[in-house]
Amino acid sequence: MRDPRAWATWVLTALVVASSTRNPLYVVLVLLSTMVVGGSCASDANQGRQAVIAPVRFAAVALPFAAVFNAATAHIGEVVFFRLPSHWPLIGGPWTGEAMLFGVVNGLVLTTIYSAFSAFNRAISVRDLIRLTPQAFHEAGVVLCVALTFVPQMTRNLRRIREAQAVRGHRVRGWRDWLPIVVPLLVGSMEQALSLAEAMVARGYGAVSERRQSIRTQVTLVIGLVTLLIGWSAYSLRAASPTWRWLAVVSLAVGGGVIAGVVIALGQEASSTVYRPRPWIMADTMGMVGCVAVWGVVLLGRGALYYTPYPHLSWPSFHPLVGVGLLGLLMPAILVGGARGV
Amino acid sequence: MEPFIYCENVTYTYPEAHAPALADVTLEIERGEFVLFMGPSGSGKSTMLRCFNGLVPHFTGGAIQGHVRVAGADPLRAGPQELSRIVGFVFQDPEAQFVMDRVEDEIAFGLENAAVPPEEMRHRVEALLAQMGLSALRDRPLETLSGGERQRVAIAAALVLRPQVLALDEPTSQLDPHSAQEVLQAVVRLNREDGLTVLLAEHRLERILPYVDRIVYLPGPGRPVVSGPPCDVLRFVDIELTPPLVTLGKALGWEPLPLTLAEGRRFARRVIPSPLPRHASRPPSRRTPPVLWVEDLSVSYRETPVLRAASLSVGSGELVALMGRNGAGKTTLLRAIVGLLPPHARQGRIWLNGERLDDWHTAEICRRVGYLPQEPDALLFADTVADELWVTLRNHGLASNPPISPPELLDRLGLRVQATAYPRDLSIGQRQRVALGAVTVTRPRLLLLDEPTRGLDYPAKRALGHLLRAWQREGSGVLLVTHDVELVAQIADRVVLLEGGRVLADGPPDAVLTSADIGPFAPQVAQVFPGSGWLTAEDVLRGVEKGK
Repeated sequence: MRDPRAWATWVLTALVVASSTRNPLYVVLVLLSTMVVGGSCASDANQGRQAVIAPVRFAAVALPFAAVFNAATAHIGEVVFFRLPSHWPLIGGPWTGEAMLFGVVNGLVLTTIYSAFSAFNRAISVRDLIRLTPQAFHEAGVVLCVALTFVPQMTRNLRRIREAQAVRGHRVRGWRDWLPIVVPLLVGSMEQALSLAEAMVARGYGAVSERRQSIRTQVTLVIGLVTLLIGWSAYSLRAASPTWRWLAVVSLAVGGGVIAGVVIALGQEASSTVYRPRPWIMADTMGMVGCVAVWGVVLLGRGALYYTPYPHLSWPSFHPLVGVGLLGLLMPAILVGGARGV
Repeated sequence: MEPFIYCENVTYTYPEAHAPALADVTLEIERGEFVLFMGPSGSGKSTMLRCFNGLVPHFTGGAIQGHVRVAGADPLRAGPQELSRIVGFVFQDPEAQFVMDRVEDEIAFGLENAAVPPEEMRHRVEALLAQMGLSALRDRPLETLSGGERQRVAIAAALVLRPQVLALDEPTSQLDPHSAQEVLQAVVRLNREDGLTVLLAEHRLERILPYVDRIVYLPGPGRPVVSGPPCDVLRFVDIELTPPLVTLGKALGWEPLPLTLAEGRRFARRVIPSPLPRHASRPPSRRTPPVLWVEDLSVSYRETPVLRAASLSVGSGELVALMGRNGAGKTTLLRAIVGLLPPHARQGRIWLNGERLDDWHTAEICRRVGYLPQEPDALLFADTVADELWVTLRNHGLASNPPISPPELLDRLGLRVQATAYPRDLSIGQRQRVALGAVTVTRPRLLLLDEPTRGLDYPAKRALGHLLRAWQREGSGVLLVTHDVELVAQIADRVVLLEGGRVLADGPPDAVLTSADIGPFAPQVAQVFPGSGWLTAEDVLRGVEKGK
């Protein structure tokens, strides 16, 4: 799987499923799936180890913290470890096993989210994501790219300047001592930004931005926004009445459609193209099929996913069909050629 | 028929400037020519190049008069965006011109903006990667490339819109000789094999003169621009701007002026039948204890060894040049001496005037050692030049009793007039000297300089050479890291050659600079008079004088 859209869907799916169940068995299943996928995205053995070690480290901090935090704030349950005087604000009252377990599950959910995002990060570069921006926002995308290129340059400059000041006996003691470091950094970055702007102009950038948006586009955009706004207010204020609800849905749809239309039209007008557009491949489709299975579980099997330790502890249930459905998240790792694709 | 490129009475003044940067320039350039723009710093070479693609005046602002035409287009009217299809432009600093972070994406950037269809884009990028020898690097992040590779990417990026002209503004001034050679060769190939018209502004003339069809000489304010074939123009050029071979040719009346080493050797055989050995013009190093003594220094970064048991010494009043390829460990050695490396990364012993330096703080070491890092701009932040010196004194707690009075030091640096100027407004050569002042105001016995001549033109280099000589005469030791063989030939007492973190050679300049270790980058004079022991044009002139 290599298409940024497919990966965005995958990470969204993982997030939704992780946050819609508190059944520890399912959460652990999802967590393990994201770790396996993260490992399969690794470019070398070290990164592969990191895909496992990093979430475990995260969990080592997140689980105890979440457990203690939940036990300290939710004083419900039958398995009571000890009691603090109940007039103490917040932490006063019984500290229970149920609350602690719920906290641990919350910690697991956090770890899963962390692990899913690290896998996503490893599979897709930020630049690939910027490529997802619609044509109409091409220039905003380029500006983001430039900013991303600038950050590592600034860190390098910062190191250089700190050393240069150190060799003239400079030591950082108070905030005033940052001046000799901040001034060259800012001035240097401005100079660099200026020469970059010059280089971009010399390479033909900016010819696009001189195109003036026609008054018609602007008016259409305003009409779309107003329609959308009317629909939204109708929906939130008068949702009880069926007539209003219909009106709201219709105007939401019309407003959204108009805005989408304007963006698409602007995109076609914009004169830029994408180098090496990555074609959607079979692996992407398969990855999506996996996500559909997971969504099926989330939407149809809500009851099966449900679990709570309150008011008294019970074993979480495990439904094999749900388990199989959730394993759809593993699809990117199973596909031939690894998750990176060819 | 209209010439391919022409300027007619072009006068241009930068915004808020009093005098014009270009005054009444008229010149013509034929299609397919290799044109060199030369002249001292600030004579308007960069400005001139920017007129051909419309950056002047569209990007810079200011007032321009006259006419410019490039391949039938009018850059002054059409502006740089439109001219990007006719003139590809490469800038001085490879770091400051990249938009993307990967080689391939960077090259494609211009095409994406020009809305070239993806299929066509792939063809063009592929062809350019092959042409510039970058195919193996296509997926590499730009920050992992060497300076020479980056400039080749910049050239590829400039060529992707298929311009008929390639303009390069001092593309090699930030590079070491190997990378510079690599870039210049690529440019020569584009001109010879693909018929591209090349406009090149350069200080480093030694290796480029043989390929040049025309020189445009910008002598500076108040003097007219000269344009024509190299031999004719070089006659007008100030002797201090020319490479040693041309200087020699002019002094000895060689006609036509030799531009290549082969031509030089022909004259050398004819004019001087038996060259005299170089006489020892420098005092032999005294037997006093060295100012700096480095013994068996090893340094590793992330388990990769950078220095392997390197040893060297600098005597009092001695100027030692430290040379070697990029990555040989030269800068690391200097950083280790002033304590900028974590203690666990280095092994070995360093003595300064007989005292072990190992666990000293950088600030303490730098009160006794003047260290000038590669980028002088990283030092400068004060409001005036004089303030920069006072800041260092205050840092060291020496402000009440300075070892050398700042006005006196500024005098010696030739910066008396600029004492109240804002440092960053000065020329690169002057900024370099301000930075030098900021690290030497503690009157150190030892000076460490990291490539101080990078980006300097010949006169600025000469001024720096004089300054170092004066310091040396007063008994300071100098350790100079440089790639500049001609400078080393002129001022060094001893040369240490590093290779892969080891000391490969350590000896007098005439022995080390003419050995095989230095490769094809020996001084021009040594190559023209092999076996003579001569290194500089002065050596030859003195030798010829004696031989008569």
